[in-house]
Amino acid sequence: MQTTNFSIARVHLTTNLRQTVVALLGVVFGISMYIFMNSFMAGVNDTQTALAFTSLAHVRIYNDGPADGTNLVSRAYPAATIAHIRNPRVLPYATGIGKAAALQALVRAQPEVVAVTPQVNLNVFFRNGSTQLNGTLSGVDIANENKLFGISKYMTAGTWARLRYRPDGIILGTDLAHDLGVQVGDNINILTSDGISRRYTLLGLFQTNVKQVDKGKAYLNINAARQLLAQHPQYVTDLQVNVRHYEQTAPLVQRIAPVIPYKVESWQLANQQLEAGAQLRNIIALAVSLTILLVAGFGIYNIMNMTINERIREIAILKAMGFSGGDVTQIFVTQALVIGLVGGLLGMGVGYGVARIVNVIPFNIAGLQTLPMTYYPRNYLLAFGFGVLTTLIAGYLPARKAAKIDPVAILRG
Amino acid sequence: MESNIALRAERIVKYFYEPEKFQVLKGLSFEVEKGEFLTLTGKSGSGKSTLLYVLSTMDTDYEGRLELNGETLTGRTQNQLAAFRNEHIGFVFQFHYLLPDFTVLDNVMLPALKINKKSRAEIEAKAYQNLQLLGLEAQARKLASRLSGGQQQRVAIARALINDPAVIMGDEPTGNLDSKNTQNVFDIFRELAHERGQTIIAVTHDEDFARNSDRVIDMSDGLIV
Repeated sequence: MQTTNFSIARVHLTTNLRQTVVALLGVVFGISMYIFMNSFMAGVNDTQTALAFTSLAHVRIYNDGPADGTNLVSRAYPAATIAHIRNPRVLPYATGIGKAAALQALVRAQPEVVAVTPQVNLNVFFRNGSTQLNGTLSGVDIANENKLFGISKYMTAGTWARLRYRPDGIILGTDLAHDLGVQVGDNINILTSDGISRRYTLLGLFQTNVKQVDKGKAYLNINAARQLLAQHPQYVTDLQVNVRHYEQTAPLVQRIAPVIPYKVESWQLANQQLEAGAQLRNIIALAVSLTILLVAGFGIYNIMNMTINERIREIAILKAMGFSGGDVTQIFVTQALVIGLVGGLLGMGVGYGVARIVNVIPFNIAGLQTLPMTYYPRNYLLAFGFGVLTTLIAGYLPARKAAKIDPVAILRG
Repeated sequence: MESNIALRAERIVKYFYEPEKFQVLKGLSFEVEKGEFLTLTGKSGSGKSTLLYVLSTMDTDYEGRLELNGETLTGRTQNQLAAFRNEHIGFVFQFHYLLPDFTVLDNVMLPALKINKKSRAEIEAKAYQNLQLLGLEAQARKLASRLSGGQQQRVAIARALINDPAVIMGDEPTGNLDSKNTQNVFDIFRELAHERGQTIIAVTHDEDFARNSDRVIDMSDGLIV
């Protein structure tokens, strides 16, 4: 009996080829659009994230100075006591992170941490002749810094690794170098806030496409930065930490903050606008994805419904001859399954094709050459599963309805 | 004599609800014996086709009681009725109602393939035999939609006979046929009834056809005259 039902389904699919092709196209279109839009949005999101984290670590550990101690009177006397204090000042305190090497080892030992790098950061003036620009100078551990931020990828002149062996070398952002009017091999004068001035040789240029960074940042070897500040050889102002999943910084912060006597700050806390941007993009992605699912699902449902309604008289004839409701359902669910599976496979192919085509459309802004695209198998499997399921439901519901009614009700019209 | 009754209808009442409530069948009761060739006649609108659909179990929206081959069919589920039709009832529609995308042979074979009691080869042989009986053996491999109206009607009759049903029902089974083929179908029906004991119930407008049958039930306004 089964084979009879299957052969009826096969005849239905093959005789009205145009109808079958239209139904297939509906499924292919829905699935491929879902795949393409999701791949594209994920690509955009990943690019945004990559851009955001070119100079931003997931977690930063630093010494944010002593607590506000300008009104010590209030600690020892009742609150109503009037205190008159003029020109309060904090006496020199220990700057930077003490026992940085031990801290770095502790953080590195955490399971979700993928990289840690120490930095010596200071605000300086960059000077070349009469031109004087202020910005940030970062003394960095060459290898670890590259692990976190992948700076070597952004080098437009010179090589990142050279900084390791050149305590007199400096690497500037392209815009900063341009504003100063210097080229690789030229000398630049650095003036610190303590009034110390020193000359460095420009070894290379980088361009992250984050203007703020390219216009106001320079890198030194960490040891050279310690020397510049006349600090001890373990001196560190910041520990930058990257975790495996950038969104999941909270567990690490909660675990290490109580045992570290310094400020432990996640990127979400430090840059709430980035956090908001990321969250909003995720919400938009979800909304668009659901909309496509809905539209594609409705399209698939309509086409399957139409296919079955065209055969409704045949259903009545089959039932008049003695085919049961189960037979009718089986015949049409078989057709739906074939359309769903073939349409799903083609849809994955077409979705991939469209993604590849869009991926080569030029887009020359902020270091991108083409429109971004991702190829996550998850999206493909999800779209395929969804397409087959919708097709099955769309085949099953009208077939079940037709299976239930008296054949005469259909034949009379 | 109980076992000699092929079909028993008791107080069959049926309403149409569209466009407004209307009583089509007004409490009909009758019996049909096995091997009887019965025709239902009456003006159009008298309810004879409606009655036939109720008798064929394809319409379950009625009041009263229907019994075929000693089995009460009133109140059974769609699937039980479908299985019953498959084995015991052959039906010929007013308009041929074949599956257009299948060959003539497939159309005739389908009810037997569904019941699945014989091998495919046996079913095919039987289908050929039925087609031959109706003079259609040459058309067996053609698509049903390629045949003329009269030919399709005869294919539908061949299909109704495939499972050797106890009761064969026809709604104007000769409505599209010329006089020669009408006579042929009439002879086949009478042979089935008298020699094989199959019961025939046919709705017809053809007075000759009705007059030559064993019994005529004439209907008017939902009642037997």
